[in-house]
Amino acid sequence: MHSFQQQAGFPILTVMTFLPTLGALVMLALMRGRPQLYKSTALVTAGATFFLSLAMVLKFDQSSADFQFIEKVSWIERLGASYHMGVDGISVLLILLTTLLSLVIVPASWNYIKDRELTFFASFLFLETGMLGTFCARDLLLFYVFWEIMLIPMYFIIGVWGGPRRIYAALKFFLFTMAGSVLMLVAIVGIAYLARPDRYAAPVFDLDQLQKAVFSFPVQVAAFLAFFIAFAIKVPMWPVHTWLPDAHVEAPTAGSVILAGVLLKMGGYGIIRFCIPLFPDAAAAAVPYILILSIIAIIYGAMVSLVQKDLKKLVAYSSVSHMGFVTGGIFAFNVIGLSGAVLVMFSHGLLTGALFLLVGFMYERLHTREISLMGGLASPFPVLAAFLLFFTLASLGLPGLSGFIGEFLSLLGLFSYNKAMAVVAASGIILAAAYLLWMYLRVMFTGTRDEEWFKLSDLNLREIASLAPLAVLAVWVGVYPSTFLNIINPSVNKLVTQMAPYVAQHGGLLTHLFASRGGL
Amino acid sequence: MSHDILAIVPELMLVVTAIVLLLIDPMLPHHGRRGLSWLGILACGTAAVSAWLARNEQFSTFSHGIALDRFTIYFKILLLLVAALAMLLSEQHLHLKKRLLGDYYALILLATVGMMVMASAIDLTVFFVGLELMSLASYLLAGFLRYNSRSIEAGLKYFLTGSFASAILLFGMALLYGVGGSTNYQEIGQALRSGNVDTGVIVIAIVLLLGGFAFKVAAAPFHSWAPDVYQGAPTPTAAFLSVGPKIAAFAVIIKFFTIILGGEHSRWVPLVIAMAIATMLIGATMALLQRDLKRLLGFSSVAHVGYLLLAVVAMGQSSYTLSSSAILFYLAAYAAMNMGAFGVLTFMANAGRFGDSLDEMAGLGRRYPGVAGVMAVLMFSLAGIPPTAGFLAKFYLFASVVDAGYAWLAVIGVLFSVVSAFYYLRVIVYMYMREPEAGALEGVPSHGRSFDLSLALGLATAAVLALGMLPGPVLNAAQDAVGKILGS
Repeated sequence: MHSFQQQAGFPILTVMTFLPTLGALVMLALMRGRPQLYKSTALVTAGATFFLSLAMVLKFDQSSADFQFIEKVSWIERLGASYHMGVDGISVLLILLTTLLSLVIVPASWNYIKDRELTFFASFLFLETGMLGTFCARDLLLFYVFWEIMLIPMYFIIGVWGGPRRIYAALKFFLFTMAGSVLMLVAIVGIAYLARPDRYAAPVFDLDQLQKAVFSFPVQVAAFLAFFIAFAIKVPMWPVHTWLPDAHVEAPTAGSVILAGVLLKMGGYGIIRFCIPLFPDAAAAAVPYILILSIIAIIYGAMVSLVQKDLKKLVAYSSVSHMGFVTGGIFAFNVIGLSGAVLVMFSHGLLTGALFLLVGFMYERLHTREISLMGGLASPFPVLAAFLLFFTLASLGLPGLSGFIGEFLSLLGLFSYNKAMAVVAASGIILAAAYLLWMYLRVMFTGTRDEEWFKLSDLNLREIASLAPLAVLAVWVGVYPSTFLNIINPSVNKLVTQMAPYVAQHGGLLTHLFASRGGL
Repeated sequence: MSHDILAIVPELMLVVTAIVLLLIDPMLPHHGRRGLSWLGILACGTAAVSAWLARNEQFSTFSHGIALDRFTIYFKILLLLVAALAMLLSEQHLHLKKRLLGDYYALILLATVGMMVMASAIDLTVFFVGLELMSLASYLLAGFLRYNSRSIEAGLKYFLTGSFASAILLFGMALLYGVGGSTNYQEIGQALRSGNVDTGVIVIAIVLLLGGFAFKVAAAPFHSWAPDVYQGAPTPTAAFLSVGPKIAAFAVIIKFFTIILGGEHSRWVPLVIAMAIATMLIGATMALLQRDLKRLLGFSSVAHVGYLLLAVVAMGQSSYTLSSSAILFYLAAYAAMNMGAFGVLTFMANAGRFGDSLDEMAGLGRRYPGVAGVMAVLMFSLAGIPPTAGFLAKFYLFASVVDAGYAWLAVIGVLFSVVSAFYYLRVIVYMYMREPEAGALEGVPSHGRSFDLSLALGLATAAVLALGMLPGPVLNAAQDAVGKILGS
């Protein structure tokens, strides 16, 4: 398997993926004790990575569903594993989100972290490599390596720079995620060996080849479950979401931004990229169960958000609710639902990232996140209030902003699968309006205001600069989603076409059953 | 030079060096002994090169008692590297404990010769000679700090349990000889496969051999000596003892369970499954309870033996090449990470810490960022997180288990590895996420630093990362090694 296939010129994916690591290593090796220098280096590295990803998006051929910018070099020959990178429309969008969020957190954390800053910024750059690699990998073993690597910097970010219960939260995050992914590892090994052409061949980890393999239904169910549990923990779906509030509350602001903005998307991405195309039969058979879990997540996440006293926990639980639209949209298995799901991922990354940034900015000023201790913040902090209002409205699905488009499409997709489910899920949007607006009311208008707060400064330019790009994109997605839909459409179409026969086989019967049990 | 001698050139080199060390040691003043370790390291290096040069040879010699093949050579080189690393780790520690003697290095070399003989043996008597040479030298090494009661206790405990284990093994081997009519592995194997033997005797022999090997590799239910011995022995010696004997024992286990008992796998597979599960369970859960780092590493090594036993189970099935090469690769990874971890503890001991308790790791990330970084990499590797050797070794090992049709065992194994991640992560928690108690880190003398120790830690970490990211060469060597074991 000597495969040094066509490398169309510049290996942009590799450079983009490993540039942050390079920057981090340079920082660690040469810049100890010089904060201005290493912070600027972190900013430049993250910026360069962002512009590389932007260049990649511009060069990306939107008319094709094929994987592009392919790089393939043999890695562990005897194990059949190769260094195989490539992107399609879905990964491109998530890569853009990753590099953007990794960039905005640098200025946002400029003065927030006081202790061991160098390691802090280096950790985020290492994390960026892990995230980008996960979105680019076209080889299961390579994917798994990147997937697990992300745990290490995130573990340090929560555990070293987090809140009072940071050690508990970091361990819980690590062990929860690891427990899910080791089962996936067993499944990866299982299918890699089953997919061999003969007993003496090397196992098959390459996704192009694995997708041609056909697995028996019991194997598919077992492997699907193992993969799905790993991804569901990351999403996180109800009932495996319990690590999320702990991790979010304890993580530093930038950690929460990346956690909610990118790491949760890994779950949705994994389901789209691996669970469905590799195990189509099992995926089609699992549709009703997963949709029910998604709807529970939407409603449960929203209900729990309603009663939160801590602002950060509120945003964390709202993620559980929003991510329910992702899994719901995916498993509707139609073009509208799936595009909606991808768009929700993108938009949720922008909006929740921004909300966590705002909560962080408020915490830096007030040293609390308790909603009951805040009140009337609109007059001491008018700019902050304006930004919070904008992102709150976007998050609750105000038409014209990004949250609306994704969730609307996702619901539309769900509607064409099963009307009753769509109706129940739609109530999640109403609940979102309730908990978000009520939160805004309590934080910004009502309540007792401490007159001392007037002495504190409003958002400064650096903080505005980290929020502004997210706001611009939120409007862009809301007003002209076609820019983004065009990127993902070919890939989405391909997946839906691929799944159609399986859904027809399994789905027909189950939809019928649901309908006869009192559906609309 | 006779052709036959070629098979034992590395062993001869070590024996000669050991004798030289013993002879010149009394002639040197104390400070003159500081270079002695390098004599031993040089011997190991030369021996490793000479072993490698013979890589295309394949024959048996000494009345079919010793084999020279890729398998033997892989183990010899691995063992020599382990011995060299152990000597690098020991130098400063012995100096500080005022026990810097040529005897120590001679004992390490002799123990290594014993291990190498074990790995190359294809005859019961030769194996036993190697085993005893290794064991006797190890007992002395464990009790080497003779002014320290802990060390003496460790030596005595190791001696008592170890000689008991040897006796049990010997009993099992006697039964094999009884039914097989030969001491040669292959001839016994043929006799067993012919079917004209008393199955009752074979079952008893299998049980005895498994019990004896369980003692030697510290597998449940005969593991309990290991944490005690590692805790009491000098820390760099514990590094050597927790790795070397296990490597040698697994070389023998692979040969025993394929060449001799390959046809009997239906009898021993259930036993090994039970042993593997019990070993992982006890290793992982007991390590959770430890606050002493040497004991923690002791129980963690018990858990790692449990994973290795899973591959032994897989070896009973048709996927022999895959599972046995998985064992070989795992041993290399295990050697690098375990020696490195004990090396960090040696550093701590040299820096003036008296205990090895977890609390003393608090704040290490600030005080010694380099050492803490090394320890973090090693802990992630022991936990099996990429991109480290521990991940790929576990991955490969579980792959062989799944391929052999034991997916459920692999699931149990990976779940235990999640449990074990907890205690490895806790070490990192202490190093980076807790502040030391007031005054704990002040006044630490700078003599903890030594070139040898830093070199050893650097090599171990580099090996862990290289095996994790570019495992190709070692993986190929491991697969080639099991391709043709002489006598099978």
